[in-house]
Amino acid sequence: MGGHASQTGSVGRLRILGISAHYHDSAAALLIDGVPVCAVQEERLSRRKNDAAFPLAAIEWCLDFAGVQPEQLDAVVFYEKPMLKFERILTLALRGFPRSWPAFPQAMKNALGGKLWVKGIIASELGVRGDRILFAEHHRSHAAAAFLGAPSRNAAILTADGVGEWATLSMGRGSIAADGTASIELFRELRFPHSLGMLYSTFTAYLGFPVNEGEYKVMGLASYGQPSFAEQVRRIVRRTADGGFALDLDYFEFHEGARRSFSKKFVEVFGAPREPWDPLDPQSAEGAHFADVAASVQLVLEEVLVDLARSLQRETGLDDLCFGGGVALNGCANARILRESGFRNLYVPSAPGDAGCALGAALYADRLHFRRPHRPVPDHPYWGPALEATDLARIALEDGLELEQIPREPDLIACAVDHLCAGRIVGWMQGRTEMGPRALGNRSILAAPHEAAMRDALNRSIKYREEFRPFAPAVPIEQADRFFQLPSGGARLGRFMSGVFPVHREWRSRLAAVTHVDGTARVQTVEASMAPRFHALLEAYGARTGIPVLLNTSFNLAGEPIVNRAVEGYSTFRRSGIDVLIAGETVVRKRRHDLARLEEAIA
Amino acid sequence: MLASPAVRAAPSTLDLLLLPLHRLIWADPHRRARKLLRFAETEADGGRDLARAAELTFDPALRRLYLRHAQDEQRHADLFRRRGRELLSQPGSASKFEANWLAPGERGLDDLRVEKQSDETLLAFLHLSEKAAAGRFVIYRRVLQADPDTRGVFARVLEDEAFHMTYTGKQLARLSPRKHGLRLWQARAGRLWKTYLRLASAVASVFGTVMLGLQYFLLLPAFALVAKRAARREPPGLAPSRPPTPLQSQY
Repeated sequence: MGGHASQTGSVGRLRILGISAHYHDSAAALLIDGVPVCAVQEERLSRRKNDAAFPLAAIEWCLDFAGVQPEQLDAVVFYEKPMLKFERILTLALRGFPRSWPAFPQAMKNALGGKLWVKGIIASELGVRGDRILFAEHHRSHAAAAFLGAPSRNAAILTADGVGEWATLSMGRGSIAADGTASIELFRELRFPHSLGMLYSTFTAYLGFPVNEGEYKVMGLASYGQPSFAEQVRRIVRRTADGGFALDLDYFEFHEGARRSFSKKFVEVFGAPREPWDPLDPQSAEGAHFADVAASVQLVLEEVLVDLARSLQRETGLDDLCFGGGVALNGCANARILRESGFRNLYVPSAPGDAGCALGAALYADRLHFRRPHRPVPDHPYWGPALEATDLARIALEDGLELEQIPREPDLIACAVDHLCAGRIVGWMQGRTEMGPRALGNRSILAAPHEAAMRDALNRSIKYREEFRPFAPAVPIEQADRFFQLPSGGARLGRFMSGVFPVHREWRSRLAAVTHVDGTARVQTVEASMAPRFHALLEAYGARTGIPVLLNTSFNLAGEPIVNRAVEGYSTFRRSGIDVLIAGETVVRKRRHDLARLEEAIA
Repeated sequence: MLASPAVRAAPSTLDLLLLPLHRLIWADPHRRARKLLRFAETEADGGRDLARAAELTFDPALRRLYLRHAQDEQRHADLFRRRGRELLSQPGSASKFEANWLAPGERGLDDLRVEKQSDETLLAFLHLSEKAAAGRFVIYRRVLQADPDTRGVFARVLEDEAFHMTYTGKQLARLSPRKHGLRLWQARAGRLWKTYLRLASAVASVFGTVMLGLQYFLLLPAFALVAKRAARREPPGLAPSRPPTPLQSQY
């Protein structure tokens, strides 16, 4: 794991470790001399989806990868201020007295039982001195991840999520001076409980999806509905004269720590909530009702974000907007911001949520605390462990599977194209794992995008998920406009699959597996400089079929994090309907009857 | 290929004594549905644990068996989920009480950390766990005479459980020919210890909740008044951002 050891270890280099943890999706990132070296989410190593534990495995991997000992770290930066967060929790308990009593003991146990003592945890786990442990504010970490990681020297900054310490949304600007001095100035913020993230999460819970995980489902479901409840949602998200908003707290209970995030009054307006177990068919009357509710909250979220972005553009007069925080994962809203706010470019990092704050906190410390000159951050998402496929060949041979080693890249790509053209589903693992929730061509499941039956097969036999959820297409950036209606700046937004755009009408029937019910798709625009092998695969597929587009979904099964190591890809391949696994230059195919015979012999 | 489930899967004496209670728990269709849906989650979790075990082991035979076992668990999850959803569409009480502590699913109340287990300890754990689950499923099948469809689901799951018991026992004997009995006793002791820890932490949690609850009502009211008054003074909408504080500060 010492791939970058040669870059490190010399005297005078500044090594900063960024950490995010304890809420959801913990991660670690390592910066050396102002440039990220590696970053990984804890879940990719622990194999526990959305792992929020202190990211010891991620930290160990980062240090090991760079050949850095903990005592060589110049700073360890935590992505938020724990005492300030505790102040918010305590204040909310006081404000909610006496209704907050059921949640108070648990909140205190959580905080006092560990979350408050982050400094001690870091010091004891890593053995670093207390004075080297730093704390960046949550939304400044988001802002830094969005701005300092973007290819822009002057940009407006918008961050929005559930909540950090107090802030739930921040607006500001960032700039890089000619001498490399970076500055991030946040002008205004909205404070908890008035939160777009919590608003969306409340509707996520109401619609019977898991919070912090099911928000994508709400967005997918919204396309099936009409925003017939938009007025009701607007009434509970009251706009204020300054361009902000205030939630009508009579409709919510999350701020009082209740088990349920919405109130009885909410149910009176929107009807009985959906039970998580209930099947959801948007074609049924009940399903259509929930789809309408989803469409309504999606519309209002977009309206608020577009208005905020528009006012920020007018105020700053800038062309670029850097958008961070979990809300920036909403591709439909991002596309509208790009189209309607006046900004020419919208930059959303590959990990805009809390995991990306590990990198953001480290960048913030480097540029603004240590005042080091800015150095451009490589514009790609591939910061995690590299693929080592040597074990895969041994395992596949032991299991009696068909195995092929194809060292020449053109042959490997031709082999992948053969399988894809034959309608097979391909598990595709190459290079280093992505940072963030999207598989962007290094840990992906790929398939032909032409038939709706492919989408249904993937939903049923591989992803085990609801049929209303769409799949994303990947396309070479040079050819994206041919298939998708991208606004100016849209191709850039598609770099990390951050925008949802219409599919050209004439292509919809031939891209049925990746065209959502409303005619849109969450496009990934692939640039050869960022992902050369994936780009070459798309081009080769296009040369064969005339359509250089592939269905690209994350390489994982329901309830599991995206695979990291080849052996995890193999395990997923074996347990699902994936037909072919291509990891590095190793190609493995299933022979079902052989496997069954082998298992019976062993038993 | 497989031994008869009726021979291999025997309910515990305690479960036999509690048979009338089990009958009561499973009588209501809605509760039955929710329990089956909960079981589906447990099975899916168990499947993920086994997939993880397959990824970690260096033993090819075990890897294949763990993968097969993981697929079985996924299939069980689907069976339970499907039947649970069918039952939900039938009339029944809206009671939320599921008695999960008394009538648990596959892994029962066990918590499994696959990474911390060797192949031998994991096999011993799985063997006991499968055996206990099969015993419980026999009871559940017995009390579900009035619901042949759900009974059928348990019957199908029990066939696999018999296979799981068999392979875990055989493989444990293969890996640890002289000490497999000891491994099973160690696994039993481990389960007991974990049960004690869970009980102790539950008691401590109750104690903590009571103490914090008392503090909440005794110490907080005065501060709550001040906090509520301050909240009322806060203007709605956007506020100036808090000025940045030094990174050494936790505030």
